[in-house]
Amino acid sequence: MSLAVIDAREWQNRFDLETGQPRKSDTPGVEMAAGVLSRHPYPGDVDEQANQWVTDTALDLISHYDPDLVCLSYVQQFFSDRHFKHPETERERLFAAAMAEANRFVDLSGFTPVIVGTGDMIPLAGDMDLSGLDGLAVSSNWSARYCGIHGPSPRDMDFLNSLDTLERIVPKQEWIDLFQAAQPDLEILQDPRLMPDFLAVAREGQAFKTMGTTLRKPVHIPANNFQVPVVTPLGIINDLREIKPLIREHLSTHKIALILVEGVGESFFPESRRLVQNGVDWFCYEPGDAFYLTLSTGRHQPFAYPAGFRFFDKDADAVKFPFSGYMDMILGHTLALNFPGKSIAVGNRSMFMHMAFGVDISIECFARNLFNQGCMAVVHRDDK
Amino acid sequence: MKCQFCERTCDLTKGRSFCGMYMEENGRVKERFPDQWCTYTPSRIESVPFYHAYPGARSMIIGTAGCNFRCRYCSNGFIACKDPADLQEVMYTLPADRLVAMAKKMGCHNIVFNVNEPAVSLPSLERVKYYARKEEIPMGCLTNGYTTESATRLMMEIFSFVHIGLKGFSNAFYHEFVGIPDMAPILRNIRMFAQTCHVEIASPVIEDVNDHELFDIARFIHDIRPDIPWHVFRLLPEHHMKESLYPNIDRMDQALETSRKLLPYIYFHNFVGSRWVNTLCPDCGHTVIKRFSLGCSGDRLDEFLAPGNTCPECGTPIPILGTRVAWNEKQSVSWEAVS
Repeated sequence: MSLAVIDAREWQNRFDLETGQPRKSDTPGVEMAAGVLSRHPYPGDVDEQANQWVTDTALDLISHYDPDLVCLSYVQQFFSDRHFKHPETERERLFAAAMAEANRFVDLSGFTPVIVGTGDMIPLAGDMDLSGLDGLAVSSNWSARYCGIHGPSPRDMDFLNSLDTLERIVPKQEWIDLFQAAQPDLEILQDPRLMPDFLAVAREGQAFKTMGTTLRKPVHIPANNFQVPVVTPLGIINDLREIKPLIREHLSTHKIALILVEGVGESFFPESRRLVQNGVDWFCYEPGDAFYLTLSTGRHQPFAYPAGFRFFDKDADAVKFPFSGYMDMILGHTLALNFPGKSIAVGNRSMFMHMAFGVDISIECFARNLFNQGCMAVVHRDDK
Repeated sequence: MKCQFCERTCDLTKGRSFCGMYMEENGRVKERFPDQWCTYTPSRIESVPFYHAYPGARSMIIGTAGCNFRCRYCSNGFIACKDPADLQEVMYTLPADRLVAMAKKMGCHNIVFNVNEPAVSLPSLERVKYYARKEEIPMGCLTNGYTTESATRLMMEIFSFVHIGLKGFSNAFYHEFVGIPDMAPILRNIRMFAQTCHVEIASPVIEDVNDHELFDIARFIHDIRPDIPWHVFRLLPEHHMKESLYPNIDRMDQALETSRKLLPYIYFHNFVGSRWVNTLCPDCGHTVIKRFSLGCSGDRLDEFLAPGNTCPECGTPIPILGTRVAWNEKQSVSWEAVS
């Protein structure tokens, strides 16, 4: 049973991760993780020191746990660029600083890196207000390109078809078929009845304004990054899904760090970078759960938490993992789940790391909508 | 021509109101941005946080823009403290009937106004009430309580459950941290609301600033009715207080100790993992409602153990508006069903 240590600054509490019930545990692994947490208070999602926090926390954890596999996410530049208008020179400095921080980790840790960017950010050109539909439009805080359309009326379809800013409207089955063809053992992990009847897809630079989108209007959103940059000395890959097998293949001979830098495109990567496929046909993964889970499992995961699904019609009374945001299941096939060596994750993409990678111990910030609540360590196992 | 919605009573002949939401037109107070909402999202009622109203319910959270306060620590400063005119591009235009239909479409049991101050949008909310009442959807709100008596009475007609911020217990605090000269209208309005509405009260605690006023607040609540739930929020340093220290949780817990002798329903939270969010029977101490605390606007019901709103151990009544509501009691419905 996994244990969560919550650190709300100068105060900690311990819980069963799945049930959320308070739980006492003082195993060496839990005590160690709690100690690391208390030494590294989180500066905040858009604070200049937020990425340094990732490196410093990871190095501290490594010095105590000696893992063979490390998964990191650096996200400060993504949050900052998404929400605040910076001069172009400042934007470039932010992205370059994120890469520099990732490289600082590599230099100090000696781990062999696999650095993955989620691709460029571009200015928000406009948004489509779908609140007036007869049916229901559902998007999410972190998605710009996709919006679920539930139960549209004929008038709604006429309206949607008249929007120049909409790239396409895809029936549910067509969306499923697209991925089924690319991934025959595709898993749809949510109740299909909660999936949208149609997926509305915005043109590049456009976003949706619907139930579920943020009160903080984004300044920049992800470009249509059908390919994303990857740099690693471990080998050549062509698809996001190939990263997992590449890492697993080399873990017997290398200590490896999988490092995500969100919002960063190829121009900030070294010349040895490769561009790898990120999605299928017209569907590219945005920075978020589907990207993380596809990367970690080596399988397409657009339907773990499908874009535009009616999340609010899930049975909230039965929900598990109350400290894991909207993620409510631990997938099989994740990168570190059955790895016999030691593994850790550290990141400032809140509440993703412990659910996405299957590592033994993870530490991540606990921030919601940029509000800094503290940090959380999750100890899935400490028996290695 | 003075605005009569809040105690600032702004002179509208000189321009718009302090909150930026009202103007004068033909000798009448007029909303500048009627039917403009910044959000319409289903959320748990505990996240508002209402702990003693319709436990487990699915609320449709709404808000507009603007506020009559300027709290230095405002968590929603990016909506509440900006010029509403500058925010209109992020707003949704939803006339009252469509807003209520949206609540039905999303399977919501009630509608709660909680992003900014409802007093800045009372005419729009009055229209929402008209349609909500037809659909038997109750309405609630968070308010800072700085309304005129007439506006308070109007709010008492619109809202059946009200969460009032009592941010300190001195005019000095309100003057320095909120920007108003006199807190007396707030105390008056809490007493008024408590006559007909379900009331919960929230107080942010800022270490070494207003923690010494906690017992005064508790005594005030006790004198109205001891069973009013009181939420003590650990300050989340935001807005103009971003550089402030987070209050120490253990010290703030100790500071509440004497107040607990006066009030049986004190909740200390607004931080993830709080262990002071459960409801205990005031007579036998049995846990009757268990909750998770995820920090600001993230709390949720875990277990409701008070069938019939009474303690299962000793039968003591627990003050709750309505009854336990299953989240999926109403599923979202198609547009044909609401049109």
